[in-house]
Amino acid sequence: MENNWEPKILAFLCNWCSYAGADLAGTSRIQYPPNIRVIRVPCSGRINPLFILKALQSGIDGVLVSGCHPGDCHYLSGNYIGRRKSATLKRFLEYIGIEEGRVQFSWVSAAEGGKFSQLVYEVTEEIKRLGPAKRFVKNRV
Amino acid sequence: MDERLKKIQEKIREKSKELLSKKRVDLIIGFSNWTLPLRTTPVFIRTPEGTESLIWNSFCENNLATYIHKFNRFRVGIVVKGCDARSLTALSLEKRFNPDGIFLIGVPCQRMVDRRKVARAVKGEIIRVEERGEELLVEGEEFKTVLEKRDFLYPSCQVCIHRTPSQAHFLADDPVEEFPLVETHPEVDVFEKKPPEERWRYFESETSRCIRCYACRQVCPMCYCTECFVECLRPKWIEGGLNPQDLQFYHIVRAYHQTGRCSGCGACERACPMDIPLTYLTQKLNQDVKELFGFEVGLDSKTPPPLSTYEVEDKGDFIK
Amino acid sequence: MMLRLDKRDFKKFLEDLMEEFDLYAPASLVEGVSVFKKIDNPEEVNLTPTLTQKPAKETFFPQSEPMFNYKTEGHKSQMKSLDEIKRERILLGARPCDIEAISIIEKVFLSEPYTDVYFLEKRKKTTLIGLGCNQPLSTCFCTSAGGGPFLRMGSDIFLIDLGGAYSVELLTEKGRLFGKNRFLKEALPEDKRQIKELEKRAFEKIGVSIPVDGIEKRLDLMTESSFWDRVHEKCVGCRICTYLCPTCHCFDIVDEGDHARGQRVRNWDSCLSSLYSLETSGHNPRPTTRERVRQRLMHKFNYFPKIFNRVACVGCGRCIQYCPVHFDIRQAIIWTSSKRPSELKT
Repeated sequence: MENNWEPKILAFLCNWCSYAGADLAGTSRIQYPPNIRVIRVPCSGRINPLFILKALQSGIDGVLVSGCHPGDCHYLSGNYIGRRKSATLKRFLEYIGIEEGRVQFSWVSAAEGGKFSQLVYEVTEEIKRLGPAKRFVKNRV
Repeated sequence: MDERLKKIQEKIREKSKELLSKKRVDLIIGFSNWTLPLRTTPVFIRTPEGTESLIWNSFCENNLATYIHKFNRFRVGIVVKGCDARSLTALSLEKRFNPDGIFLIGVPCQRMVDRRKVARAVKGEIIRVEERGEELLVEGEEFKTVLEKRDFLYPSCQVCIHRTPSQAHFLADDPVEEFPLVETHPEVDVFEKKPPEERWRYFESETSRCIRCYACRQVCPMCYCTECFVECLRPKWIEGGLNPQDLQFYHIVRAYHQTGRCSGCGACERACPMDIPLTYLTQKLNQDVKELFGFEVGLDSKTPPPLSTYEVEDKGDFIK
Repeated sequence: MMLRLDKRDFKKFLEDLMEEFDLYAPASLVEGVSVFKKIDNPEEVNLTPTLTQKPAKETFFPQSEPMFNYKTEGHKSQMKSLDEIKRERILLGARPCDIEAISIIEKVFLSEPYTDVYFLEKRKKTTLIGLGCNQPLSTCFCTSAGGGPFLRMGSDIFLIDLGGAYSVELLTEKGRLFGKNRFLKEALPEDKRQIKELEKRAFEKIGVSIPVDGIEKRLDLMTESSFWDRVHEKCVGCRICTYLCPTCHCFDIVDEGDHARGQRVRNWDSCLSSLYSLETSGHNPRPTTRERVRQRLMHKFNYFPKIFNRVACVGCGRCIQYCPVHFDIRQAIIWTSSKRPSELKT
């Protein structure tokens, strides 16, 4: 295995809490690993499981989905719906053999810049230990 | 047992005749014998005389609920097993038909015979099959053998705990005694205990045979989207060929789209010409939905589908 | 020219062939499921099942075939079509129905002046070794569809399973090139008699005649018949019959990739899919299975014969075996010849 391999992690952050939290980490100059690529979504409930699957198929080593804490969703219940989808999808992917830890979920509020940075450290470490994504990766033409 | 089957058959014919004569329905959808042994075929009867061709046996393996989409302009009487009735309840929750427009002729199911398993157990083509109680008399040109029916049931039927269609308007026989309620699905249990690497290899190798015929999707009553995700061009989720990862993507998503909707009828697996196991995927989703949300599809027509709703107390311990 | 190949030499014979040729033959994927594929190991070859799931047409008309690749670097773009086939090929173990079906598809793909180069390239470099049917299935009706269990036409070499050996008939110039193979011995005097016995038994087994004769004219009168209102009902609109059919040949061409690189691919398509005739406007001239089942039967038994003087069906029976709702094309054909086709037995 290449020692220089750095995982590529896709982070879906909900606009109102998690994305703001990530932004706070930035403005507070809190460091976190550069492995994540952020996609801003209006709400964690907007996440279509196909996004996560498409990411994994494209060779992304890990996916992080982060939303508002329960009760704090800007759209009131989007994160609750997202929670149900996340729970069933996570279990299903692990069941068919995708390594546990490739797809992760979190609640990060707009004030939790510190938590966000810590989260990214944690997730990057876990994915580094899992190694590059090999299962379900489609070869490009 | 075949006395029971004959009795059920008579009741189905009687009731269908009555429904058509009284013009309570325009159309009866049931099963009939056709040209091959070990198989029946869906039939669409419009006259009281035509009901004579309706039959009932252990080869009525199709889920006739899938035809409700095609015939939802008509008032339809459908012959349903336990699983089929639950599919219809799930469809009525999703408002796919007018509930006054259907009449369920329910049959407490004696479980269906896996025709491919029977074919593998003999040497040569099967010409004739007769059900005799708990036995199957199977004949070919050069063989004649008796098999124990219970050794040749479909996997989805072996673990079914909802064989009586309790939501049916009419039951063609007394309800059957169900297996005791189990927390987990045996097939899923066994699979889950394997290491992840082995589970992935299994999924990979089984789906590699897929020929994208979409029979699994078409026979499933819950797959009724006018534009399926495989046909969507913007975004284009998967290509149209036989790339292995695209085949995996298709099966993951088709199964996942059944979360909280699948009745476990096994029609997908039975339709597949390449013998790809599929119910082990949907049964896992059914099991999780039961564990996480206390929901089992098709048991009542009031509880909303689990992914369309939420509880504040839903478990979220996997969330950092 | 008739020769004989002892079954004990069969694997070695295949190894001989594989030295010079790419071998395509039936192989089991799992028990009960077999397809034609490129053989890497002679152990894979399985000639026992009467029919494979996927038909032999795949060897010339793959389910998914790249037509060309393209790459753009800056302002420069390159297109690269697929490489010429370097090694000659052998298709071994195709039943007479599958072989006959290839000649039906050839009428479309090789008709002048527009020949399909992808099909042609494979076809002209392939020797066809057919295999006679000692055990036709109850769903076989090749004799009604212009074929037969021991039809040799179309094969370069014809094999017949004699039990302990194969009879090997070298029928064409291409076939006779194999006459020098060290495992092909002279036929025994009783081989001819045994073959006649096998042929007789196979023909008797197929028995029932399906009224394919004259179906073109019958269907001419039935385009708007209420027959179609009933015949389609159980069809769920999957693609099994078309994909497993040895003569079906519709395809869709798609581009995969992005501005930087990609390829153009030809994939099988099916007229039974609702998308097949869906127009960009949203209008679909074949909106339900009624129109699509009619289309399939008319294409096979009316439109195709009008152009090519042959029905586009070889009576292999795969569609009957594998249809998930047990649609039986033989019944549909029989109904077209009943006196009042609009009244179907329901």
